[in-house]
Amino acid sequence: MADKNIDLEKNNNPQENTGNMFENENELNEDQRVKILSPGMLVVKRFIRNRLAIVGTVILIVMILFSFIGGALSPYAENQSFYKTSDVAKDYAAAALNNEPQFYYANGVEFENTLVKFEIINAVSQNKTYLKGKDYFYTVTEAGEGFYLIARAEEAATVKLDQNGTAISSEYAQDISSELEEAFMGCITSGEDNLSFEGKDYSVVSMADNTYTLCVAEDVGVSTRKVISLLDKNEKLTFEFMRDFELALNDKKNEFEFDGATYTVEEGNSFDIINKNGEEYACVSDYSIQSTVSGGKISVDEMASIVDAITSRKTEYTNPDGVLCSITNKDTRYTITTDKKTRILDTHAKPSKTHWLGTDKDGMDNLTRLMYGGRISLFIGFVVVIIELLIGVILGGIAGYFGKWVDNLIMRIVDIVICIPAMPIYIILGSIMDTNQVDAQMRIFYLMFVLGILSWPGICRMVRGQILSLREQEFMIATEATGISVRRRIFKHLIPNVIPQLIVIATMDLGSIILTEATLSFLGLGVKFPYASWGNIINAVNDSYVMTHFWFEWIPAGFLILLTVLGFNFVGDGLRDAFDPKMKR
Amino acid sequence: MAKITIENDFTPIVHDDKNILEVNKLKKYFPIKDGLFQSTVGYVRAVDGITFNIERGTTMGLVGESGCGKSTAGRTILRLLEKTGGQVLFNGKEVHDLDKKEMKELRTKMQIIFQDPYSSLSPRLPIHEIIGEAVREHNLVPKNEYNEYIDTIMHNCGLQPYHKDRYPHEFSGGQRQRICIARALALNPQFVVCDEPVSALDVSIQAQIINLLKDLQSKYHLTYLFISHDLSVVEHISDTIGVMYLGDLVEFGKKEDIFANPLHPYTQALFSAIPIPDPTVKMNRVILEGNIPSPANPPKGCKFHTRCKYCKKGVCDVERPHMKDMGDGHTVVCHLYDK
Repeated sequence: MADKNIDLEKNNNPQENTGNMFENENELNEDQRVKILSPGMLVVKRFIRNRLAIVGTVILIVMILFSFIGGALSPYAENQSFYKTSDVAKDYAAAALNNEPQFYYANGVEFENTLVKFEIINAVSQNKTYLKGKDYFYTVTEAGEGFYLIARAEEAATVKLDQNGTAISSEYAQDISSELEEAFMGCITSGEDNLSFEGKDYSVVSMADNTYTLCVAEDVGVSTRKVISLLDKNEKLTFEFMRDFELALNDKKNEFEFDGATYTVEEGNSFDIINKNGEEYACVSDYSIQSTVSGGKISVDEMASIVDAITSRKTEYTNPDGVLCSITNKDTRYTITTDKKTRILDTHAKPSKTHWLGTDKDGMDNLTRLMYGGRISLFIGFVVVIIELLIGVILGGIAGYFGKWVDNLIMRIVDIVICIPAMPIYIILGSIMDTNQVDAQMRIFYLMFVLGILSWPGICRMVRGQILSLREQEFMIATEATGISVRRRIFKHLIPNVIPQLIVIATMDLGSIILTEATLSFLGLGVKFPYASWGNIINAVNDSYVMTHFWFEWIPAGFLILLTVLGFNFVGDGLRDAFDPKMKR
Repeated sequence: MAKITIENDFTPIVHDDKNILEVNKLKKYFPIKDGLFQSTVGYVRAVDGITFNIERGTTMGLVGESGCGKSTAGRTILRLLEKTGGQVLFNGKEVHDLDKKEMKELRTKMQIIFQDPYSSLSPRLPIHEIIGEAVREHNLVPKNEYNEYIDTIMHNCGLQPYHKDRYPHEFSGGQRQRICIARALALNPQFVVCDEPVSALDVSIQAQIINLLKDLQSKYHLTYLFISHDLSVVEHISDTIGVMYLGDLVEFGKKEDIFANPLHPYTQALFSAIPIPDPTVKMNRVILEGNIPSPANPPKGCKFHTRCKYCKKGVCDVERPHMKDMGDGHTVVCHLYDK
């Protein structure tokens, strides 16, 4: 260039001079010249020479491809749950060994109080024959082995005898005929307990001090050690049935009538079987066995095998359908379970060929969720940065260009927005959206909006500062002198000079917004299920079992966040260096 | 603090058609703000009532030391700054009274070339955009002639067509100044304020630019207001010269008159500083004592009396001198020439 200038000086006439220059043979041709690069191209050149920036760019490109293309390539949908069929132990039947006497009471009998019931139970175990309640006597009569009849007796008469057997006093609670009184006295002398008179049963109870009481007795219950398991779960054992059954057994009869049906007792291998009208009705054993499946029936054969298994302390048996059942014992309560094929969610599956990163707690493919999560995380980042750039550049540009009270007003607004504590606001808004049950998709938009609204002041300040300094530059005065419109002055002269800083700050902000979004989603305030975001994928570590056992559920998401933010920061740093013209790398 | 009033007493002048620019008692004060409520506590009197005319096709040199208000005067004339008082008539029209639309029209007729060619070009725009932007803005040429027009302008300013797509950072200072000149001339102005256009350049380039300006002047019939503190440059280019001291135009006249017969003591001191390229000649320099006073608080009476060796006590430090015509348009503001 210098030689041309010398030319100019010699000629003192630029017009001739320029003419000369074209004719000058020493002048380089257009194609021989060093290629002239625009400032933008220079930036690109410097950027490419920055190794770290290229690494960041590659990371970001991979992330963007992974998120936006990956989701389309993945054969699975974002919230597609996977199922597997698996053998699940299901309750099948329950059995319990019975040592305690069982009590059956007549329908409609009401005891004076619950204490009486306990005393009856006590009486049975302690072989007491009678006890006195407030209004009634209760007698417990052993009617067979382990079989007690419980009767309630109302006092009819009490007689006290002297030593010679002469009645000293007598009390009558009811009007008693003289014949009954005689029979009563007869019983006392003969020592009989029961008295039948005019078709009514009476019992004579001898008490201390030679006092005898004549009672009107009524059977109210039985106590038995035998356990009768009804085959049909819908039927119920009644007191009357038990009484008749036991009485028949005591009389060594194998047959008894009850309620119009004929029951036969048949001795089986392990226990007795009661047939009703020739059909199996119930079985009698020390074990009570009942099906726990609704509508399920356990056949006599199966009960026999269960009892066999329990008595021989086996933990398994094969039921008549050929299914292996297992028995677990807990304090003589046995739970019988069978493995049943069930379709269940394939949760926490280990990485495999079908699920490269396994599945999560909802049985969804982790890799696919990471792709969709990246899509949402990056999308939120971009949208928020666009929002904050829009607001920041417009307000900052206005403040910087117009100055004075406009600047003052906007800067005070910026001060106020900066003073708003962001995290509490996010948390409050998150819980407000929780209580209002905001749709998961709308939540994402609200989140973008709120993040954008709260993060523009930094950009606004930067733009304003830059424009304040640029405004005083002579080229801005020149635009005024040449009468260029205000709009063009702002958008063609001021903004392009701010763009380098804008790009740098926006790139850096992208990283930090992705971090904020991840934090919020991790806390359960941001993106919500069914939408995935890297933050709410990491949220799985809330379950410490997942954290320690299923690394593949949360480590990759954390790694992706780290990589992406790192990538944005590398690129941001690279751009900042590249935009700095003093960088001659 | 007493309320500060700005006197704005001037007698409106009648437009003479041979003059392209008539400046009458032009004042530009910058308010000094202080205190909690940023109230105005005083003014910097950057331009304190200057009066001169520029004839069509001539160049007026405006000289003075740094901070005397030369550039402010130039910018106030172009209405890049709003005047505080006085008149600026461009082709007989008051520049500061024009509305927005008229002003935009006038912008093409008055242009400015800045001192610093580095900060006066937007670094993000290619050269053709810098030069042609305003041409398009004002629709000066039809669209199909636009490229040709830009080429012509660039050619006339000594720029090559292949410079078009380059960016300012790829040019030297002299070339940048050519770009600035091209930008100003692209609007086809009648009047150009050259605000120290060569003081940032080295001497050899200064000459090129000065010559370029002169050539363009004759080609486009331009009128220049050439602001400079370099007297030799001013001597070379100017037809008339104004000397400013602390916001006042102390002397104004034809170049020959002023160089041959400087009247004002300040002009004499200033011109005595021009080096003579002959080592045998003993220079008779007038050395001024003290510093230039603050324009915010200028001395009473004649502003120069604090440094003037002819200062008459009781006159110069009390009464403000008025402009006196010493014949042939040579005016001076000094008590020495009171009749």
